[in-house]
Amino acid sequence: MLRLIILRLLAAVPVLLVVSLITFGLTLLVPGDIASEMAGPTATAADVQRVRVELGLDQPPLARMVQWYGGVLRGDLGRSILLNQSVGQAVLERLPVTLSLTFVALALACLIGIPAGLLAAAKARRWPDQVTMASAMVGLSVPDFWLGLVFIWVFGVQLHWLPTGGFVAPSVDFVGWLRSIALPAGSLALTQLGPIARMTRSAALEVAGSDFIRTARAKGLTEPRVFTRHVLAGAMVPILTVVGIGFGLSLGGALVVEQVFSLPGVGRLVIGAVLRRDWPVIQGGLLLTTCIFVLVNLLVDLLYLWVDPRLRETA
Amino acid sequence: MLRRRTFAKGITAAAALPLPAIAQSVGQQGRKGGDVIVAMTAAPPTIDAMATTAQAARNISMHMFESLYTRDEGANPKPELAEGVDIAADGMTYTFKLRGGVKFHNGKTMTSADAKASMERYAKLGGSKDALKAVAAFETPNASTLVLKMGSIFPGLIEAISSPRAPFVIVPEEECGKALGQIGNIGTGPFQFGEYKPDSHVRMTRYDGYAPNTAYDKRDGFTGKKTAYFDSVTIRIMPEAGARTAGLQTGELHVLETLDVAAAKRLKDDKGVKTYTMMPWAFLTLMMNNNWGLTANPAIRKAIQAALEVEEIAAIASDGLYRLDPSWQYPGTNYFPGVDGLDVYMKPNQAKAKAGLAAAGYKGEELQVICDSSIKWHLDSGTVAAQQLRAAGFTVKLNVMDWPTVNAARVKPEGWNLWPLAMGIEPYEGPYNVVGFFAGSLPVQIKPDAVIEDCNKRLATQLKLEDRKAAVKMFQDRLYDQAIAVKVADIGVIQATRSNVMNYAPYRTQRMWDCWFA
Repeated sequence: MLRLIILRLLAAVPVLLVVSLITFGLTLLVPGDIASEMAGPTATAADVQRVRVELGLDQPPLARMVQWYGGVLRGDLGRSILLNQSVGQAVLERLPVTLSLTFVALALACLIGIPAGLLAAAKARRWPDQVTMASAMVGLSVPDFWLGLVFIWVFGVQLHWLPTGGFVAPSVDFVGWLRSIALPAGSLALTQLGPIARMTRSAALEVAGSDFIRTARAKGLTEPRVFTRHVLAGAMVPILTVVGIGFGLSLGGALVVEQVFSLPGVGRLVIGAVLRRDWPVIQGGLLLTTCIFVLVNLLVDLLYLWVDPRLRETA
Repeated sequence: MLRRRTFAKGITAAAALPLPAIAQSVGQQGRKGGDVIVAMTAAPPTIDAMATTAQAARNISMHMFESLYTRDEGANPKPELAEGVDIAADGMTYTFKLRGGVKFHNGKTMTSADAKASMERYAKLGGSKDALKAVAAFETPNASTLVLKMGSIFPGLIEAISSPRAPFVIVPEEECGKALGQIGNIGTGPFQFGEYKPDSHVRMTRYDGYAPNTAYDKRDGFTGKKTAYFDSVTIRIMPEAGARTAGLQTGELHVLETLDVAAAKRLKDDKGVKTYTMMPWAFLTLMMNNNWGLTANPAIRKAIQAALEVEEIAAIASDGLYRLDPSWQYPGTNYFPGVDGLDVYMKPNQAKAKAGLAAAGYKGEELQVICDSSIKWHLDSGTVAAQQLRAAGFTVKLNVMDWPTVNAARVKPEGWNLWPLAMGIEPYEGPYNVVGFFAGSLPVQIKPDAVIEDCNKRLATQLKLEDRKAAVKMFQDRLYDQAIAVKVADIGVIQATRSNVMNYAPYRTQRMWDCWFA
């Protein structure tokens, strides 16, 4: 298993290199720079150029690239021009917001989606199946930002149950954190719930036709026990795959949901950096996000081995 | 002996900007306490007050920092950290007497050394540092006097250094050696810096060592006698309009920088919310590239001018919150050049446009309109103008991009013809940055215009107000005569508070001094 982990981590190096090169190329190709943002909308071209020189943005792109990669090798992702802090620090400060949003959303999606998918499989082609799958399709089709706005209106403005925005750290107030994360995580979860439920249903139906399930039924196990103990275990590999993909999609969805709910997470940091052309933050933020994505994929691969003994033997 | 005139409180009978007449509750007793939460739409590029002209930065910095001179309720220059200024009759020496007993947030008493060092830092990296170009030396004959020795005459100096555009704030001398964006947030304002969480919020707390300016009896624009009642001010950065409105409705937010017109209409019967209209807030304009392609030809520019129905553009872009005003200065202000004969530009004349196009030999070449999608005023103006021009016979390509891309494109000498822009702070400041935007080696219209250069020069050098006003009139006439740019209208914004925020008055930023919770 250690060999697998090392091989996967080594394979991540070219991925990170390609991502950083593409990001760097894009930041060079996209017009506009942070100097014009700092100088303001009615600054003259001369004003913008002056700010550009003061910020050191007049250096050739190759020099900036060499400098940045040199820093990365030393563990330094550079310094944000706008935030006046290191990119690593800026991302790490915001990471708990994004990760808590993503994990809570994914946990909610799994907690609802997997049982719903199992129910749909157990009652295949009957009304519980149709209702569950229709609901999953609705969740899949509705954009998360729209759901977010609807949640704000219903649970914030009309019912006054939950705050409409902002973030409370769990270390400060755990209940406050739950309340602040409920609506954004809920809107993000609903969009992930559909694929998880659908995949659970199709994987469970496939497993349910297996000989070992027939044996389990022949032994006299009840249907709920057959599905929760044996069918689910057999269907876990494809479910884990879709959950892993869902994590990546949730990270992407968090960019938008953080905007809607004014959550100070990595998504807002990167969007703000893109809009203001703070290129060290774009570079560093995307590199760290890619690292997280790679690590989650590695975790999913390790979970495969845990849930399926056959894979352990071939690993 | 030099003849001196005092440019101090009440010197000019300057007409105030026609800002909303909000009663200043002088007799009303304020109540201390509470954390007021203000929502603003964008994050500041930096909170180094001198360095940026961004509105988001002003919303924060005007609470923490003060300047020698600033603007009153009618946008006229008034003393703040200075008691006044003596200007030599030849305009070559400005002597500022500083107010005594003013303390920075670190407890240090402000002296002329701080004022000098702040001005010198501004001259190096300030957002409007050209305003100090004519200053040859800053001198401090004593701890309470700052003298500006001019290298050349610049009668607009007080207007310039009193502008909140990128405010000429006074900070402790020790901070002034720091680079752009690296400065500590130590000012003399009624609130002191608490914390800044980029993308989230800025928190300021009441500065109990604040020395109110006793030369005034109440809040007056950015100056006056300021009293901080709230324990703290939290300015939250909330880009999503729907979330801001919802936060105001639920009471999670107390003050909104801006409320959509549609939302304001929807909330008009909500007893928990008060709305305030700021008119005028900005010039809505369409800038033209006089250097490249179709719009290099004055005849084509005139055809564009004739084809546009400015009222339709303004009505759609501002959701109805506009007033037709062809002038390039606000009516009622010192430099207002009048609007005689300009009403003809307020109505479209398709026949004139088509005749102009034919006379100019137009053969269907593409007119490039660039606009950003970040600001509704810009996007809607670009879209409606493009459609109107198509109806007049132009072939138009509308290029919608994000703000930094447009901002980079519009300074290029080629590749664009028309660019919608809402000019917010510049017309509020007066004529200098409006005329200055069209002047210099790389003006907004790209190709310098000799007449406008002359106007700009006169504005910068004529000692008599009448001569400077004449220069502004000449500038305005030139813009219309050569169709250098199109003034669409004056547009407004709506600010909003919860009903329990007392004595709030709308202004260029959300002033959280002299208001309190009921």
